[in-house]
Amino acid sequence: MSVYLPIAEMSVDALLLLSIGLGVGWLSGLFGVGGGFLLTPLLILIGIPAPVAVASGANQTIGASVSGLIAQWRRGNVDPRMGAVLLVAGLAGSAAGTQLFVFLRSLGQIDLAVSLFYVVVLGTVGALMVRESVRAILRRRHAKPARTHQHSWLHGLPFKMRFRKSRLYISVIPPMLVGFGIGILSAIMGVGGGFMLVPAMIYLLGMPTGTTIGTSLFQVTFVSANVTLLQALQTGSVDIVLTLLLLAGGVAGAQFGAAMGSRLRGEETRALLGLLVLAVAARLLWDLLQTPGSLYFLGPAT
Amino acid sequence: MKPRLPAGAALLAALLAMATPALAQRDAQPTPPPQPGPALAAEIAQPSIAVDTAFSGANLLVFGATDRLLGPAGDNVVILGIGPARDVVVRRRVKRLGIWVNGAAARFREVPNYYALASTAPVAGLLEEAARRERRLGLDMLTARIPGPRDPAFRQALIELKQGSEQWNEEEAPVEVSGGRLFHARLPLPSTIATGDYVVQVLLVRANRIIARQELPFRVDRVGATARIADVSRDHPLLYGLACIGLAALAGWLGSVIFRRG
Repeated sequence: MSVYLPIAEMSVDALLLLSIGLGVGWLSGLFGVGGGFLLTPLLILIGIPAPVAVASGANQTIGASVSGLIAQWRRGNVDPRMGAVLLVAGLAGSAAGTQLFVFLRSLGQIDLAVSLFYVVVLGTVGALMVRESVRAILRRRHAKPARTHQHSWLHGLPFKMRFRKSRLYISVIPPMLVGFGIGILSAIMGVGGGFMLVPAMIYLLGMPTGTTIGTSLFQVTFVSANVTLLQALQTGSVDIVLTLLLLAGGVAGAQFGAAMGSRLRGEETRALLGLLVLAVAARLLWDLLQTPGSLYFLGPAT
Repeated sequence: MKPRLPAGAALLAALLAMATPALAQRDAQPTPPPQPGPALAAEIAQPSIAVDTAFSGANLLVFGATDRLLGPAGDNVVILGIGPARDVVVRRRVKRLGIWVNGAAARFREVPNYYALASTAPVAGLLEEAARRERRLGLDMLTARIPGPRDPAFRQALIELKQGSEQWNEEEAPVEVSGGRLFHARLPLPSTIATGDYVVQVLLVRANRIIARQELPFRVDRVGATARIADVSRDHPLLYGLACIGLAALAGWLGSVIFRRG
């Protein structure tokens, strides 16, 4: 059954989109991330134009994270103050990122830029996650107690603020930088940035694991809403039919994934997620390195 | 395919219309002089193509009749479909620092987004190059007339890319002839077809000259939900963006309610 996407201006198989949504939703429920980092490359792979894939990926992320956010909020796992700081910086970052997106598109390099961002960001995050989780697994085997909270130069910065829910008293500068950077990346890569935000909160900000997932979902929901709005206004490439088809499969998959994920240990889950992130990065790098099937390609005049 | 029935009926009507004078001629004893009819009569099955949510491409039936016999020894019919023009950019990928990046680009102006050519015999054998060039008969003739850089590699790439996306095609299926004077062809419209004004030209070729020509305009329009979504997105982007956010959030919330376990 094929369905015509009004903004992408092409016809695609609806069942293919539903199953992509289901698969990505299942993985995102399993690992507790939005899944945008898998979704956008997959959409580009099946022939959706990169701007539409990025903008609709951001739109899909709202739906994927909103149900998780409601559940986490009820359990009191959201630190509203930390969320607000990250969000203000994240909104500024995504506004800057959308400008950068428009600029790169005018240069005709948007496909390349999206791929390069994916390779670098996913490669780095994936490698860090695998390294950290393997260490954690080894540490558990050797039964050495881990330090939960380390003091570093980050704690010497000014403008300190108390984040009661996260039991932190730190400068607002690191959360601001983290939020801004992830805002830029989410605008260019069409991802919510949960897979980058969670490790950044744990390792850079020293937040306890309990509040990171809820607070990152808070940030991701609002930043992806902002990216969706800015993309709708500036590039007009949000395809709501595409988004809703992906979400129809995605919300179902996420619930089953979450049920399965609760049976896995934290370190193993993070190691698997890290490997998945690395695999996507390797695939995209391969596409950049191998000789393309056609040396020419067609674009609209800008 | 929905439009098959009316198209078939129209074809039948055309067939009858052509057959009637022939019968009349045979039956009437003192043969009256034949009516000086048009040398060419052609029609398209649908004056508008509707792109709705279920659109996955279509075929446009072009049919008609001629006053003399069609075939290798007689007349020939050439059918040309052309869509609205748009500027396009062809980019070449080049290897920089080990990765493939977008290199030199060639901008072509006023490129028809759709082109289809069909005829009863290969067009190159029917008409002189000057006539083919003037009427844009053949992709090489079409691209030779498009303003843009002269580099032949980019022009060739433009042809190959447009053919690859099924938006341009030439002489893939011949114009079918039945009964010597009736002809029909199906022009394939891909699912990626752009909206706008299109025109089908039907040319009657006799002895290397175009002796009759008919222009049949048609439109490609989005209809229904597809049209409304595209219109709102273009005319009210703020409203559209907010609606997208709201719908996605609603879908996520609904999903968590429906699929909640326990």
